[in-house]
Amino acid sequence: MEPAARQVPGTDSSAGGTDGMRGIAALSLPARVFVAIAVAVVTVGVAFHVAMVFLQTAPDNTISKRHADVVDAYVYPEFERNWKLFAPNPLQQNVAVHARARIAKDDGTTETTGWVNLTAMDGKAIHGNPAPSHTQQNELRRAWEFYADYHDDNGLPVGLRGRLSEQYLKRIVMMRFGAELNGGSVERIQVRSAVTPVAPPAWSEEKADIKTQYAVQPWWQVTSADLPGGAE
Amino acid sequence: MVRSGPRAWLERCVSRGLSKVTTYALGPYQTAIVRIGFGTAWLLFLLRELPHRHELYGPDGPWSFGLGKQLIETNRAFTVLLWSSSDSWFELVYVLAMASAAAMVLGWHTRVSSVVFMVGVLSLQNRSVFMGDGGDNVIHLMSMYLVLTRCAQVWSLDARRARRARERAAAEGLPVPANAVAATGGVVLWAVLGAVLLGGTFAGALSTGWALFFWALWAVHGLWWGLEKAAGSGGATVREARAVGDILANLAHNGVLLVIMVEVCLVYSTAGWYKIQGSRWQDGTAVYYPMNLDYFTPWPALSHLLAGSGLMIFLVTYGTVVTQVAFPFTLFNRRVKNVLLAAMIMEHIGIAVLLGLPFFSLAMIAADAVFLPTVFLMWTGRHVTALGGRVRRLLPGGRKDPAPAAPGGPPGGGPGVPEQTRPQVTWPATEPASDGPGPGRP
Repeated sequence: MEPAARQVPGTDSSAGGTDGMRGIAALSLPARVFVAIAVAVVTVGVAFHVAMVFLQTAPDNTISKRHADVVDAYVYPEFERNWKLFAPNPLQQNVAVHARARIAKDDGTTETTGWVNLTAMDGKAIHGNPAPSHTQQNELRRAWEFYADYHDDNGLPVGLRGRLSEQYLKRIVMMRFGAELNGGSVERIQVRSAVTPVAPPAWSEEKADIKTQYAVQPWWQVTSADLPGGAE
Repeated sequence: MVRSGPRAWLERCVSRGLSKVTTYALGPYQTAIVRIGFGTAWLLFLLRELPHRHELYGPDGPWSFGLGKQLIETNRAFTVLLWSSSDSWFELVYVLAMASAAAMVLGWHTRVSSVVFMVGVLSLQNRSVFMGDGGDNVIHLMSMYLVLTRCAQVWSLDARRARRARERAAAEGLPVPANAVAATGGVVLWAVLGAVLLGGTFAGALSTGWALFFWALWAVHGLWWGLEKAAGSGGATVREARAVGDILANLAHNGVLLVIMVEVCLVYSTAGWYKIQGSRWQDGTAVYYPMNLDYFTPWPALSHLLAGSGLMIFLVTYGTVVTQVAFPFTLFNRRVKNVLLAAMIMEHIGIAVLLGLPFFSLAMIAADAVFLPTVFLMWTGRHVTALGGRVRRLLPGGRKDPAPAAPGGPPGGGPGVPEQTRPQVTWPATEPASDGPGPGRP
């Protein structure tokens, strides 16, 4: 049951003791054939695995393009490596997500709130925090990346992932806003990204325009599926 | 030995290599530190996220059960969390994930724990892929590799149990027994997991590939236990079957250890190659930018202090690229390798603090640890054990006996295990020149 525990080398008499070859040489012929096959299988398996993982991580090249389907079928979903440690260039802009809501009040009037900088709230939670939570550091940041990757320039979703990313973003915004806001219920929400390039270092000669660029998305109707507790 | 020439030399190399990879599970200290490192990283992460666990992975988090289900239907990733949308199922999986991580740190029934650990890691991470980062990704990969390594040969409760059984047998003059203690605890775990697996298979919750994988593991564990039992009293055939089983396990361990090492090299070398193509890494300002990203500056004053010096930024930028590109090649020279390894571990400590990524850094350091030299690991193990013993004696009711209760590993100054192990555990990566013509000398 516990092979690992038993395998302190040199203490296992049956494994062949100090002279390794004796371990294999002492075996009967069928056992030796079996071990030889196992050696071949492990060798081929390791070589194949390493090749696949290498082709997935390396930049697109002749081999990886030719065998893309084999590589993808093997590597995804479990053996993928999906981060590149700030390569080829580190992110050089702060991407913030803002949201606002249209609220239906009890007296029949509607009100549109100002833009709320949700990313700034994450930033505040991260300040002075030695171990920021994934909910603060990754949730909104990666949800926006996901959304942007699967939406066209007109803010329209691309494929299933486009629709999923939209609902995900809505649910994040609604979790942070709450169904009730400013004394009314949230009927529609709108998000925009605010992209601000990082100013070039003070010690460099470089000049850059660091004006914030906004990408405003369409208004979205809020349904019960977008609220916490409203999952299908 | 009389024959010479390249052919004889090649034959000797192959047969020596073959005997090594079949007889020993190489790198016992390295695989143990990788196990402890990843167990710790995942356990601390899960503890830190306890208050946020519902938001991250729960059925009613922003990435809801329904959203998760739709995505998994397209990518077929493995997660038990989509077996049921009930809250108690989620809580159970989360608790089991923490328990298995703790078991990995301690090396408690490691063969079983490592499987549960992998299931926990994959289930939580695949449930909400968009919550993760690079640290999660490396834990994901290693959790699968650890299943196939004999990573509890040292510094584990398993190793301690085996040692005690041997000592007891030696004291009573009996033959080395099959793992008597494992027989009770291990068999119970094995039976429980078999039942879970049976349920999962009948409910149709497992894909064919995963079902085959888990059933194969389960069968192998059972077979191994049977062989262990039978080998004590059985005939030559049983003993031989057990020896073959041992060889197969060593082969799998060594193969996967190689994969782990290659994977770590790939992480750095590809990151380095990509960086060389990046203009910011070329002009020496790359490190300045993360210091100014809102999501990665928990200590703005500290970040701006570093970002304020063009020279420092330049040195760290170029140093990072040089280290990452060079690392795989330094494996042929253990002294240079150790220097670079220390540099990379220091850099990850820096990243942990400056960028607010402690779990990512811990995971990366745990991966780097596969390249730590055996001498250093044994030295650390001895000191940790000694420290543990001293602390225990200070506690009220502490025993005089410094036998390690925690993953203390080889008993400080105790008889045998490290000394006995040491000469045989020559690990090619750390001691390339120890074996005659190594890869460094063509």
